[in-house]
Amino acid sequence: MGFQVALQPLNLFYCFTGVLIGTLVGVLPGIGPVTAMSLLLPATYHITPVGAIIMLSGIYYGVQYGGSTTSILVNIPGEAASVMTCIDGYQMARQGRAGRALGISAFGSFIAGTIGIIGLVLIAPPLVDFALKFGFPEYFSLMVLGLTVLSFMTSGSIVRALMMAAFGLILGTIGLDFISGLARFTFDIPELLDGIGLVPVVMGLFGISEVLLNIEVKIKREIFTTKVKGLLPTLQDWAQSIWAILRGTLIGFFLGILPGGGAVISSFVSYAIEKRVSKHPEKFGKGAIEGVAAPESANNSAAQGAFIPLLTLGIPGNVATAMLLGALIIHGITPGPLLLSQNPELFWGVVASMYVGNAMLLALNLPLIGIWVQLLKVPYPILFPLIIIFCMIGSYSINNSPIDVAIMLIFGGIGYLMKKLSLEAAPVVLAFVLGPMLENALRQSLIKSQGSFSIFFTRPISAACLFIAIALVVFPLLPWFRRRRPGVALEREDVT
Amino acid sequence: MKKTYLINDLVWMSLAFLVCLGGLKLGFGTFQQPQAGFMPFLSGLLLGLLALADLSSGFIDQWKTEKGDKEIWAGIDWRKLLLTMIVLFGYTALFSILGFIIGTILLLLFLFRVMEPKPWWLILIASLITTTLLYLMFKVGLDSQLPQGFWGF
Repeated sequence: MGFQVALQPLNLFYCFTGVLIGTLVGVLPGIGPVTAMSLLLPATYHITPVGAIIMLSGIYYGVQYGGSTTSILVNIPGEAASVMTCIDGYQMARQGRAGRALGISAFGSFIAGTIGIIGLVLIAPPLVDFALKFGFPEYFSLMVLGLTVLSFMTSGSIVRALMMAAFGLILGTIGLDFISGLARFTFDIPELLDGIGLVPVVMGLFGISEVLLNIEVKIKREIFTTKVKGLLPTLQDWAQSIWAILRGTLIGFFLGILPGGGAVISSFVSYAIEKRVSKHPEKFGKGAIEGVAAPESANNSAAQGAFIPLLTLGIPGNVATAMLLGALIIHGITPGPLLLSQNPELFWGVVASMYVGNAMLLALNLPLIGIWVQLLKVPYPILFPLIIIFCMIGSYSINNSPIDVAIMLIFGGIGYLMKKLSLEAAPVVLAFVLGPMLENALRQSLIKSQGSFSIFFTRPISAACLFIAIALVVFPLLPWFRRRRPGVALEREDVT
Repeated sequence: MKKTYLINDLVWMSLAFLVCLGGLKLGFGTFQQPQAGFMPFLSGLLLGLLALADLSSGFIDQWKTEKGDKEIWAGIDWRKLLLTMIVLFGYTALFSILGFIIGTILLLLFLFRVMEPKPWWLILIASLITTTLLYLMFKVGLDSQLPQGFWGF
């Protein structure tokens, strides 16, 4: 059924458009998948829900492919999940092996994407049966776990990341209370009765803030002007990379499923593990092909894995899948365990389109590499004004409201200050999206238990989620754990 | 003493305080029957406690691992930044009156000039071409809603 839906000419077109835009966004630094998805979201109102989700998903996993090109050729990650690819990818390019780095990155991404989809097909249906047993307490605890994992995985202080999650929860309370109908923090602005829109918040925190940050610095880019050749990896390259690809795929997939996990974290973890298991760790950072293969595979399979909690539980694990959740709701579809039985054509159509999209991406990324290299030469003074206008149009066109544009600009300013203070935006957005669901689950659970919090600890799944969440908050306070954390930070410093 | 981080935590604590107050005003209810202010109060309390924890840990280790105040704010062209924000808010306020085409041409003139000073004639041509392409892409291609303004375009 999935391929019947995915191979319809119109859906093929949406899939192609999605992966093409995704590659473009991945190649161009400054626009992440989230900004691109929010920009395209209003344009999907006129198309079918299946087509809309196929296109938006294509952007999400397409970005993971495109990001590697910029990392390898310019040493600037096109988006956050490609940060680790810079380390060895750029060194390979400097040694005249740019083509092989791009080649292994594309093939590794394809293999990882394919295995990721197989994993999705195998895991999603049984998980749906399991998820049907979930009640409000389980949903509440799972969302708490997701927010805690995301905060734990961020590069800076976990306390500050949790602060940002709390800020996101506050933002989620703006608008009408869903039980009493009372207006909360709306300041008599009618546009706020439905709450703040996800798109203005995301575009402000990610898009506008990035441009504001770059107004103050002049970015110099050194692009390899020599012709990129030899895109097909040699047998020796394959021998060196195949296990890295497979390890990266598995790590990425399982970290992608984890609430709060995702492509960025999985690429960091897979690089660190690859360096640790390698017989020649000293080659890492100097052009080791495994250092490109592992994180690129990991970020692609993580992108597929992240669909599992979204499609089966209706809970987004990261900001990009939160955007997809928003898109599903806008199109009148309730994501969750019933999605598979009520909208099988959407569920399987999206899954099958990912496979088709992966094949399209392989075809797009290798033969068209010359075009992507040319795109890298678009000067920032042209690119950044365009990003601002795109964000303005994107925010306005949702409700035809200048208030949404003003909200986006306010969040642009907040996002700028947050970046200056090294405060992460991802927990804000995830908590903002999960906030209303979390509040509903908490209030309904407490009403059911007559106000007793023991309901969260007497049900096994809920208790397990909460104990893991508590452990993640407590662990960083232990001295032995604090000694180990700087190791991860050092790996990240290699990037610059 | 890193003033920036101190101010940052104090700002978050103040916000948390205001949200808690707002939550109480809306009505906390009871744990058996939580009301509209229940979640805002709890979220505000959580934010306040975390900001307090961050502030305390900063005082204990003297913000040794953080960037210095000068490092955080170095190299910022405040004039350019504030001017950009004012122009963007101005565009937001006026584009319903001016319409997408005229408003965007004016905004692009400013943005291109701010990003990299080039001759006015070049910036004008770039703004006209970019606005036309954007209009064709969003209005004609994607059928997006764009402000029509006083002149109807």
